[in-house]
Amino acid sequence: MFDRFFVREDSLHNTVEDGVITGFTLAVRNANYRGVYLSLHNGYFLEVDGVAYEREVQRFAINGQGPRSFAEIAGAVNEHWAYDDEGVLHVLKPGGLAPGAHTVRIQQSVLAAYGYRPTDAAWVKEPPVPGSGAGSDKAPEISVFHLTLMGEDIA
Amino acid sequence: MTLRRGVSLYSFQQSQFFKDLMLDDQIAEVGGIVGCNGIEIIDEMSLRYPDPGEAFVRHWFAMMDRHGTVPVAMDVGMDVLQFRDHVMTHEECAERLRQDIRLAKRLGFGIVRVLSVTPFEVMKMAEAEAERCDVRLGKEVHQPMALEGPQVTEIVEYAERSGSRTFGIVPDLGIYQFRPSEALLKWFRRKGASDEACTAVGLLSEVIRAGNGADFDVSLHTAGNIRSDFRRFITSGEAPETCATAFRAVRAFAEAEIDRPTELDFLVVGEALTFSRTSPETLRQMAGHVTHVHAKFYEMSEMPEQSGVYEDASIDTAAAVGALKAGGFDGWLNSEYEGQRYYQDRTRADLMSEVDQVRKHQSMLQRLIEA
Repeated sequence: MFDRFFVREDSLHNTVEDGVITGFTLAVRNANYRGVYLSLHNGYFLEVDGVAYEREVQRFAINGQGPRSFAEIAGAVNEHWAYDDEGVLHVLKPGGLAPGAHTVRIQQSVLAAYGYRPTDAAWVKEPPVPGSGAGSDKAPEISVFHLTLMGEDIA
Repeated sequence: MTLRRGVSLYSFQQSQFFKDLMLDDQIAEVGGIVGCNGIEIIDEMSLRYPDPGEAFVRHWFAMMDRHGTVPVAMDVGMDVLQFRDHVMTHEECAERLRQDIRLAKRLGFGIVRVLSVTPFEVMKMAEAEAERCDVRLGKEVHQPMALEGPQVTEIVEYAERSGSRTFGIVPDLGIYQFRPSEALLKWFRRKGASDEACTAVGLLSEVIRAGNGADFDVSLHTAGNIRSDFRRFITSGEAPETCATAFRAVRAFAEAEIDRPTELDFLVVGEALTFSRTSPETLRQMAGHVTHVHAKFYEMSEMPEQSGVYEDASIDTAAAVGALKAGGFDGWLNSEYEGQRYYQDRTRADLMSEVDQVRKHQSMLQRLIEA
């Protein structure tokens, strides 16, 4: 669901901290018909122009808070990501992206489906690495977006 | 005995995603449909969950008054990995359900719909809270489940033994689906599925409808998640034990009908696994245990040679409504539109109008109820 809409088209920006470009950001929505407890949000498969960005360099900003690592997000067990709300995916990449057009391949992973699943215990031990479709119940394909870098966000 | 009409706001999920139609607009839309005034919501779609706040509660009832609508049912989920460091126990699931029951009560809902996969034990652990709040708990019977399966029987038997009306079932009329919708097949074709695969799933649908599809039946063993399980089977060969026989049978059927089927072709034929093959007669017999009905539909189309008269050509809604009437059902049928997702591979301009689809579905429900 919303495979080609869950990333906002005009949301690609470089991040500037203390005058230095430290990475880039994308705005995303729940690719589903509902929101979820934030802890279930397990990160993204993300590739920009063929370069992969693993969860370790991803941060997620939602609910008026600054960017948090997905290890921190996993601890947000009583916080909810509402269906209507846009979150911002921050990616650490010194120097950021070059100006112009970029091809973004992305898949959202949320460890929620319908009740108990055979994978539950395994995913507690080790959550799936986003990209296989695991934990991407309603949008199991990798989406491709052609985005233009819109400028800089001053952090 | 009255069959009343309402709408599940799930039907407007896409309009809400794009912020074309927010909660207040959705309620106004339902209230504006003549003869339709029931509201059903998904808690995590329509609300600031888990606590929307007192100001919202006041606003909610003001909206109900303004539009002449009534809260009918709130649909709740069960995401068992919420705590991430362990799988939720039944008691933890029950505690979430108790909170949801209290939230439903605050918003004036008389029914909480639980997922078809909710263990009955979890429902029983929340029974006292449901009774205290005067809220009924309805377990959804969603394709590929059938009304004849153990998940339904245990609820009906418990209700008849105890004489309590707290527990019931929510038939999702997708259980009367007998062929894939055209919306879905067109979506598969655009993704690259072969014509042969679309023909093959039609053939398999006919085999099943004629009552010769026992080999392909997962309806009594499982519920939900069937598409992701079958996909995993096609790519990895792994299948839940209870589904393995049916999965292999579908794969063999596809291989016999299609020259060198692709993964996508298998998934197209696998759609036949989602049919419940449940009997309208069973619905008639169980009508007294129905809390309300999810009147699921995928696409409204004009009936052959009847201009301006609409039906969903993939679901036998007429048989279901007939059975509910014959069984003396007294309650709500809520439109639940689910075809919008099969256009979301296209541009925004090509997306379906949920408002238009729901209005057409309501006109069909009115026609069938009055028939």
